Amino acid sequence: MSKRKRPEPKSSSGGINEDEKNILGLIRSKQGMGATTYEMRTATKIQPTLITRAVASLKKSSLIKEVPNMNNKGIKHFLAVEFQPCKELTGGDWYIDGALDVSKIEGLKEICVRILERLKSKVVTLDVIYSYFEKASSDADKLSREQTREILKNLVLDNVVMEVKSNGLTDFSATRIGEICYKLTGKKSGGGEARDGAFALVPCGACPHIGLCTPDGVISPTTCVYFQKWLDF
Amino acid sequence: MTTTEFGIVYAVHIITSHFGSVASKVCECLLRRGPLSSREISRLAESDINHSKVKDILYLLIQHNCVQAFSIEPPDGSESKAIVQYIALFSNILHRARYNKFSSKVVNEELGSQCSGVLDGLLSNGRLTLEQLIDRDRDSKKQMGSEAIRDSLQKLVAARFVERVPSPEPVLGNKDEGPAQKKRGAKPSKIFKEPESLEERILEAATPVDAIRFPFIFEQGSSSTVADDDSNISEGKRKQPEVDYTSGPSNEVIWRPNFEELIRRLRHKACVEIVKERRDEGCANVMKAMLEVGRSQEKKAKTDKSVRTPIFFSVPMSMGSIYEELIKTDAGREMTQERVEACLEQLSATSSYLPAFVIESDGSYIVDFKSIISVAQKDEMESVVMRRYGKEAFRMFRYLSQEDRFVETDKIADAALTEKKDTPQILLKMWKDGYLHMQKLAVTGVYIPFLLWKVNKLIVSRQMLDEMYHASLNLSLRLTHETDSEKELLLLPMEKLEGALKERRNKYRAKSVLLTSARFKLDDAIMLFHDF
Repeated sequence: MSKRKRPEPKSSSGGINEDEKNILGLIRSKQGMGATTYEMRTATKIQPTLITRAVASLKKSSLIKEVPNMNNKGIKHFLAVEFQPCKELTGGDWYIDGALDVSKIEGLKEICVRILERLKSKVVTLDVIYSYFEKASSDADKLSREQTREILKNLVLDNVVMEVKSNGLTDFSATRIGEICYKLTGKKSGGGEARDGAFALVPCGACPHIGLCTPDGVISPTTCVYFQKWLDF
Repeated sequence: MTTTEFGIVYAVHIITSHFGSVASKVCECLLRRGPLSSREISRLAESDINHSKVKDILYLLIQHNCVQAFSIEPPDGSESKAIVQYIALFSNILHRARYNKFSSKVVNEELGSQCSGVLDGLLSNGRLTLEQLIDRDRDSKKQMGSEAIRDSLQKLVAARFVERVPSPEPVLGNKDEGPAQKKRGAKPSKIFKEPESLEERILEAATPVDAIRFPFIFEQGSSSTVADDDSNISEGKRKQPEVDYTSGPSNEVIWRPNFEELIRRLRHKACVEIVKERRDEGCANVMKAMLEVGRSQEKKAKTDKSVRTPIFFSVPMSMGSIYEELIKTDAGREMTQERVEACLEQLSATSSYLPAFVIESDGSYIVDFKSIISVAQKDEMESVVMRRYGKEAFRMFRYLSQEDRFVETDKIADAALTEKKDTPQILLKMWKDGYLHMQKLAVTGVYIPFLLWKVNKLIVSRQMLDEMYHASLNLSLRLTHETDSEKELLLLPMEKLEGALKERRNKYRAKSVLLTSARFKLDDAIMLFHDF
C-alpha cells in the first residue's frame, strides 16, 4: 500500500497527483469508450491547462493511451491501458489502428470463393463456411460466425456470390428447406453472369464530366480526351 | 416516362440529320412546347419560318410518322371551329435510329429478305400504297415483281409489322366532359384509371379497330374491304378530312410500319437473350416457346381499349401448351418434358441474384416481363456505377438498392465493408450526379446532421436514360466529326490509296465501325428503359 503523498504541481516519477488521479478514475470508469478532454473538464471541473498537463503526464507514465475516434476524427479519446477501445471508436472488427484492414477482408473473400469453387455441392450454408474458418490454423484467419456472415454478405454485394433459399431439392438436398444458402454466381455455378452494360462501355458512361458536356461547349464530343483515347487505334 | 432534356436534343439531332435544320426547328418547337397549331409554330419557332413552310414541314413529318395532327372538340354550344393541332411523337422519332434493327433483326429473321425489303421501303418513305411500293420496285436494280411485293405486304400485315395509317386528324372529346360522364353513378374509387397522357389519347383516337388496321384481304384499287368508317374508330370522333390521308390518290390504302409490334418483337428477343445469359440455353428455349404461346393473347389484351396499362405479364399458359410450342423448333425437340419442367422450375426460382422470371400458379405459368427487363436495367445501372465510381460505390449502390429505404452513412460503410472516412465522399459523388437520394436528419445536441441515403429507382432510371440519350448523341456527333475531318480522303477511291493514306483510311473505318456499333448497342439499352 502506497503512502498518501502531498499534492504536487508536477507528478513525480513514481506517483501521480490529485488531478491526475481524478482524471484517471474518470477514464477508467468509461472503460472501452474512454474520455475526451471536454468530458474530463465538465466532469472534474479542472482547468483546461491542468487537464492537458495531467493527460500528458498520464500518457508518459503509460497509464492511459490515446485512441482516435472513427466518426469524429478531430476528437481524441483517452483510455486506461487495461481496456481495449470499443467498436464505436475503432470502427469494428475489421479496423486496425483506425484504418479498415482491406487486405485481410480481400484475403478472406478469396478464401470463401476458393471454398465455394472446391465444394462438390454447388450450394453451402453459412455453417459450412464458418467451420472452415473455425478450424483455421492461424489466429489471424479465425473468424467468428458473425464475421463469416459479413464476409459472405460482402461477396453478395460484390455480385460474386448469391444468396438462395433452400427448397430441399437437387443441389439443396443437404440443407433444410427455407435455409439461407450461398452459391457462386457466373458460369462456374451453372448460372449466368451480369452483362456488361452498353452505356458503361462507351466513354460517356464512365465520364465524370458528362453533366458539363454539350455539343458546342468547352467539353464536347469533338474535343473530348476520353473519346480521343478510346478511338486511338 | 416523360421526355428528358437530352432526349429532346437527341430527337432534334435525328430530325436534323434526316430532314435538315428547318424541319428540326419545327420539331424542337413541338417537343419543347407540346401540341401547337401551325400558326403558333410559325410564330414560336426560333427562326423565321413562314406559315406555308411550317405546313409543308408538318406534312413531311406526318408522312414520316414523326408528327400526328388532331383537334379538340369545341365545348357544346360554342360556334368556334376546332383548331388543328400537331403533336411530335418522340418515340417514333427515336425509332428512326433503329430502323435497321426492325428490318434485319425482326422481319428478315421471321419473314425473310423479301418482306424485309418491302418494310425497308416503308421505313425509308414513311407511308406508301401498294402501288407506290410496286413503282418503287420497278425503279430498283433488284426487282422483286408486283406479285412478290403484294405477297410480302400481305405477310407483313398478317404478322402486324405493317398497319394501315391511322386517322389523319382525330377529334378528341372535350377534356372536361369525359371524366364527368364516366363518374356518373359510380364511386370514384371504383372507376379510377391511370390518367392517360394527351399523346396516348390522341394515338388511341387515331388508331382504327383491328379489322381495319390489319385487314385480311386487300386488293389494289379496291378499298371496299377496308373502307374507312368513322364508326370503327373507337373513343374520340373523327372529323371528315378534306383529303383522306388513309388512302392514296387512287383511293388505295396507305401502309406504314407498325412500331408497336416491331418493338414488341424486340422486347421478346431481349427477354430471351436475358434468360439465356442469366440461366441457360434450355431456359431460353422454354421462354421463347412461352412468348410464342402468349403472343396472340398478348395482342388481344393490348388492343382491348379498356386495358391501357402496359402489359407486364403474359397470359397464364399450361405446361402442355408450352411443350407443344417447344417441339415445333429444332432446339425444342431435343428437350424432354422432364427437362422443360426443370427449366420452368429454374425460371420460377427467386434469389438475391435474380428474381423469378416466370410466376407459377395452379399449374399454369405466366411470364413476368417486368422482372426480366428489370434485371437488364439493373445490370446497366450497376455497371455504370462500377465504372464511374469504383468497386466500393458499386457495393454501396447494390446494398441501398436491396434495402430500398433510407440508410445512415455509417451503416452503409459497415454493410459494404468500406472505409468509414471515405464513405461520405463516395456517396456524395453519386448523389451529385443524381444516382442517390439524400436526406439530412438533424438531431438535437449533435452539431453535424446525420445523412441518410437511398436509391430511388425511378430517379436513377430517368437520370440514366437522359445520360444515354446524351451519349448516343455524342457518338453520332463524334462520327460526323471524324467523317468531316477525313472528308477529302474519303473522296479518293480505296484502290488508289497507298502507304500512310491507306493506313489513315483504315483507321477511319475502324473508328467508324466502333462508333456505329457502340451506338447500336447503346440503343438496345435505351429501349430497355424507354420502350420495354
